[in-house]
Amino acid sequence: MRTQKSTQRTRDDETMTQNTPNTDTSPATPASGEARASGPTVADILASDRHPAPPPLLESAYEFLGDHDIPYERYTSAAYAQNEVTHVWGKAWQWACREEHIPDAGDNFVYDIGPYSVIVVRSEDETIEAFLNVCSHRGTRLLAAEGSGYSQAFTCPFHGWSWELNGDIRNIPGRWDFPHVCHEKHALQRVQCERWGGFVFINIDPNAKPLADYLDVLPEHFAHFPLKQRRIKAHVQKKLPANWKAAQEAFMEAYHNFETHNAPNGSNTQYDVFGKYVSRFIHNIGHYSPESLDDYPGDKWRKPPLSEDQQLDILSVFGIENSGVPEGETARSVIAKKLRGHFGELFGVDFSNTSETLMLDSIEYHLFPNMFFFAGINVPMVYRFRPDGESVEQCIFDVMILEPIAEGSEHPEPPEPVQLDVEQSYTETDALGWLAPVYDEDTANLAQQQQGFKISRKPGLTLGNYQEVRIRRVHLTLDEFMANAEP
Amino acid sequence: MTKNNREQQNWEEHMSTNEFKKVTTPSELPKGKTLCVSVEEKELLLCHTADGIFAVDNLCTHAEARLCDGKLKGNKILCPLHGAAFDVKSGAALTRPASIPLKTYPVKLENETISVSLIEITE
Repeated sequence: MRTQKSTQRTRDDETMTQNTPNTDTSPATPASGEARASGPTVADILASDRHPAPPPLLESAYEFLGDHDIPYERYTSAAYAQNEVTHVWGKAWQWACREEHIPDAGDNFVYDIGPYSVIVVRSEDETIEAFLNVCSHRGTRLLAAEGSGYSQAFTCPFHGWSWELNGDIRNIPGRWDFPHVCHEKHALQRVQCERWGGFVFINIDPNAKPLADYLDVLPEHFAHFPLKQRRIKAHVQKKLPANWKAAQEAFMEAYHNFETHNAPNGSNTQYDVFGKYVSRFIHNIGHYSPESLDDYPGDKWRKPPLSEDQQLDILSVFGIENSGVPEGETARSVIAKKLRGHFGELFGVDFSNTSETLMLDSIEYHLFPNMFFFAGINVPMVYRFRPDGESVEQCIFDVMILEPIAEGSEHPEPPEPVQLDVEQSYTETDALGWLAPVYDEDTANLAQQQQGFKISRKPGLTLGNYQEVRIRRVHLTLDEFMANAEP
Repeated sequence: MTKNNREQQNWEEHMSTNEFKKVTTPSELPKGKTLCVSVEEKELLLCHTADGIFAVDNLCTHAEARLCDGKLKGNKILCPLHGAAFDVKSGAALTRPASIPLKTYPVKLENETISVSLIEITE
């Protein structure tokens, strides 16, 4: 078990040479990575909730991973981005679509990543396969558009070579001229393809390890809150004015909540690292700790602290009517109860024994390099960040809202993604509800940050040992993928 | 033929083709499905989406494959041959290899009857 590692110090950064751990050993100062915000922890809050949390949410798995700066060059260099194309996007597992995007034989989904394009196809009722989206004659891209499509065969728009859904050659017009063409060399080029949690993952590297090796604790943890048993309620794709890593890193910590969102909670968030590929935060909603803000500017939310009624008022953003916190209850218990009833009726799912943390909290798992899966019911998102084409300084951020569906019910046809450009606001679509203004705040800093990378004389960004450890974990794993890259 | 006669003939043709022809009933066309119908020897594809019922030419403008063998996804009809996508509301060609839009036709739903007119929607 990877639990209770919080006092261990590990070195998992063979390829990073700038590591200079904090050498301050005075007794009053905890060792690097041991310091925490004052006040109750997430584990304390989960233990005080009425409904017990699923066991994986009671685990804690922090490791100190070093405190060196991360070079800004990683976010700005075209050469670095080109190496990512080869060594990350060409080698790492990535989800391409949900299974319900391709429910019937002939349904396909085109996933573009950097310069690559992959066709995921349901070739038979129970079989999903993937191929490079390219003709084996003269290299033309086969299917033009990204996203969901359908055809009974794949036909090149140039000379009309065609392939069966399983990649076998179907027809070559003027076959007499191609005696040298054979199945082995000219079938569609296969891409590794596996499924988990209702997602279809691809890996362009024919020699990649199985998906299960990357997922680490995800299957075990999400067995308690399955993602397959959800439907896509909304899908928004927005272009963001920053390198894909900077954009995703804005979503990997809740340290920014105070300044960016003007919100009291976030500073006592729990951060976990599960191996090289998976990390997590658990961020309480409906509760905050005034003590955790003891050195934040001003007295806001500290003197006096918010009452339970005031905390409940903040949650009116969810659109659930309430009439205050009765004696013996908390804002958290009141809103969780309301949400159990509301969502239970809406989805036809029984949430009567579902824990407060699953009903309310922001429980965010990250899978290397660029995927986020949320476990919660009221905070039920999936994120994906990837470069916009081969751009170094612009990326595409996919948000999907995954709502639970009743046992035995079929997945409805997924909505087409709403596409927003860099300058557009999330509030221009009603698909995301209360989350839209939050995402506007989250993404409003990105253009300035991307510019700052290029202004700074200091050559890299500095990370908190605990609150920003997930960002460091991604960079350490990135180093391993990039180890074969040209200097 | 005099000018007036020609105008009269054009008007009569217009009136005859402008008539809505009964083609099917709603029970034959559930939401999310398509139905190929023949009107005056012309094949049309009826598409029932979340936004309503729409009629387009049944032949893909690229290689003339029959779109009734393709698939309706949302408001898109996908050609079975090359996978070209068209917006069934506007007829617009959304992806290569198609570039020419599909013709679209007015549809009426009255008294449990679906009717179409062969007067092409031009706006």
